Amino acid sequence: MIFKVFAKDELTRLFEVLSVNRVVGPVQKGLDRKNRPIYSFEVVDNFDDLRLDYPSTLYPAKRYFLPFEETLSSFTLESGSWEKHVDYNVYQPQVMFGMHACDINALNKLDKVLINSVHPTPYYASKRRNMFIIGIECMPQPHCFCRSMGADTVQHGFDMFLTDLGDRYFAEILSSTAYNYLLKIKTMEASETDHQEYRQVVREKSSKFTTHVDTTDLTKILDMEFQADVWKQWGDKCLSCGTCANVCPTCYCYGVQETVDMNLQAATKTKQLYSCNLIDFAEVAGGHNFRPEAHIRLKYRYYHKHRGFVEAFEESLCVGCGRCGESCLANINVPEVIASVRYEE
Amino acid sequence: MPANLTYLGVELARPRVAFFELSSCEGCQLQLLNNEATLLDFLSLVEVVRFREGMTEAGDDYAVAFVEGSVTRADQELQLAEIRKKAKVMVAFGSCACFGGVNQLKNRFSDQEWVKREVYGDFHVDTQLARPISDVVKVDLMIYGCPVKKEEVERIVTDLLLGKAINHPKYPVCMECKANENICLFDLGEPCLGPVTRAGCDAWCPSNRMGCWGCRGPADAANIPQMARIMAEHGFSTETLLDRLECFGGFAAHVEEIRKKG
Amino acid sequence: MVEKIAFVDVLKDKAVDDLLHDLSRFEYTYKAEITNVYPLTQTERLYQIQIKDPDERNRFIFRPGQFVMLELPGIGESPFSISSSPLRRGDIELCIRGVGNLTNFLARLERGAEVGISGPFGTSFPVETMQGQNIMLIAGGLGLVPLRAPILHVLEHRSRYGEVDIIYGAKQPSELLFTYQYEMWRKFDISLNIIVDKADESWQGPVGLITETLKERIVVRNAETLASNTFAIVCGPPVMFKYVCKMLTEAGLPMQKMFVSLERRMHCGRGKCCRCNIGSTYTCLEGPVFDYWTVMNLKEAI
Repeated sequence: MIFKVFAKDELTRLFEVLSVNRVVGPVQKGLDRKNRPIYSFEVVDNFDDLRLDYPSTLYPAKRYFLPFEETLSSFTLESGSWEKHVDYNVYQPQVMFGMHACDINALNKLDKVLINSVHPTPYYASKRRNMFIIGIECMPQPHCFCRSMGADTVQHGFDMFLTDLGDRYFAEILSSTAYNYLLKIKTMEASETDHQEYRQVVREKSSKFTTHVDTTDLTKILDMEFQADVWKQWGDKCLSCGTCANVCPTCYCYGVQETVDMNLQAATKTKQLYSCNLIDFAEVAGGHNFRPEAHIRLKYRYYHKHRGFVEAFEESLCVGCGRCGESCLANINVPEVIASVRYEE
Repeated sequence: MPANLTYLGVELARPRVAFFELSSCEGCQLQLLNNEATLLDFLSLVEVVRFREGMTEAGDDYAVAFVEGSVTRADQELQLAEIRKKAKVMVAFGSCACFGGVNQLKNRFSDQEWVKREVYGDFHVDTQLARPISDVVKVDLMIYGCPVKKEEVERIVTDLLLGKAINHPKYPVCMECKANENICLFDLGEPCLGPVTRAGCDAWCPSNRMGCWGCRGPADAANIPQMARIMAEHGFSTETLLDRLECFGGFAAHVEEIRKKG
Repeated sequence: MVEKIAFVDVLKDKAVDDLLHDLSRFEYTYKAEITNVYPLTQTERLYQIQIKDPDERNRFIFRPGQFVMLELPGIGESPFSISSSPLRRGDIELCIRGVGNLTNFLARLERGAEVGISGPFGTSFPVETMQGQNIMLIAGGLGLVPLRAPILHVLEHRSRYGEVDIIYGAKQPSELLFTYQYEMWRKFDISLNIIVDKADESWQGPVGLITETLKERIVVRNAETLASNTFAIVCGPPVMFKYVCKMLTEAGLPMQKMFVSLERRMHCGRGKCCRCNIGSTYTCLEGPVFDYWTVMNLKEAI
């Protein structure tokens, strides 16, 4: 890996250089009822709109990779015959300016199931491969447990990763594209002082986590406690509303709908991200529902994230961003659910 | 206008449809007329024989009846029975027809004579409690919403023509609200029935920063006790919750339960 | 001078001949034609479907137990287990009951109608491994549908297998599938045992639960051959295979020699939508054919 440092105001220049492309980054979207700012990943035209010191965003950047709704194919029909048209809906590369480690780790996890597996999906692959990602170091929030999930640092899946060293940025450079863009601004070789300061920031970050999840033997514990009553207690709270899946950077489950145009000359096949907590997620034609109760669906969600994915890829599908817990009106959150299944409360 | 419609080589019968209105604002029917861009396509799918807002003729030969409005008078019961006799498919069109709608708010008052005097003064109007049309006749299909969403109506009519089953979303509005990446209204300090109300509106109100009032009735797994806890936790009174749940009539059974518990 | 980031065409990333990893295959549909429709019962029909393009037709091969996704534009797409012999190239038979949008619309299509096919997907019954041994094929109701491909395989390679039992239970005689082939199956030295829950006037055979017939056949085939020399294939409603697999296990048949085909709703068939997951196992990738040991370890299977 190649490291560089550059003065803070050089970042404006880097933004300008990159802004010939579409740039997406964290901006302030509004204030909540307690006047706290709410952040969101939006298309950014002006560097001053970026809030690179954002604590976390309400929603992940998922919609730029896995939109909530996407056309898979369309059909034109003529006298009993039809033609299928497929479009991956990607026309230009995008720059993701300022993603946290958890969100980049989320993409790396999605890559495993959506690209590096049998039947890779071109809709995701085309977007993912056309992203230029600049990561940025962050400080843990009270709801963050990325460290417990091994997602507080990220090793790959980005082009460049920046750490704020006060008056300058420490840059890890992973791609030649990133290297070439950095040639457009004034950079210096990272010195031993820079290394030291970088390590200091990392140490400080590590020390600031207040929320932890014990993942020791979690796959076994989830199997053992499959019939445990705690699931029912959480199920009673669950609204079966799908909010947790929609704010999750790694939830990728979906449903397909086919619709016919009113002129009967065309049809569309659409994919919508779905949530395993929605009541009809496992309903089959004819009406039988394999998971009719809220607690069974909630349990399945934890199974997929913390057991099934681990079995398949030796890592959890959860990055510990804590967004699901923050957004859940019923206060269902990963650290408490897992602690209760482990009987640690 | 094509006499025969086909899809994938299968002949489809173009249904004769009629629109009726009971006690309502007729705003749901207006939704259909609002959609000029697709109106012609819509009219090529069905043969409209009666539509007061859009045509002078009024035919009596129809297979599908769209009934808007709630039942509030005795003569409407007779009218509904007549429509039911003729219609193969009886559609409750909009929240008033499905649940009683805003009209049924008057049912909250124990003294209905007082309500009449307040509203109509000395003018004698023979009204009863407002009821959904399913209280009077068998309903085959509900189209929810106050007002109905025109895109949804168009899809439903297309699906009816094709013989596809009409499946409403079973999940609540939150799902669509989050797909629109809205800030939760509770975070903005406003009450919202999004967590328990049937989706299908694309979170119309919450996306415009208006809390949901439940016009589409309860979602399939509506967790009302949890909804009540959420309202309380955010500092809203039981009355605020009941006001919302009662607004369109879709949550009548739940309201009764909450009132019983006190 | 600043240049835009170069656009990557992902379709050029993967070798086109690797069907399982070729990105362009994901939403690719073979155009196919319904060449014949044959009503099997009041609710089930057998569709003969042929891929239109001759090259694609020749390349289409499958193993018994695999499924295809069948698509009608604007109506829907669903998985269907292939009911015909793998020896037939690119011309498949699907036995379909009208229960949803897709299947009901399909029933209105005429011979010659165009449909979309993709696949084949999923795991298969290990018919090669079963060679030289006895086979018990046990089906309840529609469970005969995924079993017909292995049955036909056995018929076509009869000398490679030992004693073959088909044990088939249906609610009533009118619901029996593939009745026109029973004579042929029997002539190929297959012991076909049918039992119905409820008889009608025409019914001469036994009446009762499938487990009763199975009990008799277990005695005939004896514990020793069951333990050492027999494979079983089981398909039917969850309650049925739970009991059947339990009986076979108790009779000494090893769990890893018992195969079941599970059914779940699928939206993609390609291990992406998660709708068919049992626990966290994809029925479309790791199934639909599982050995019974695996099923025992799937939390939600039965």
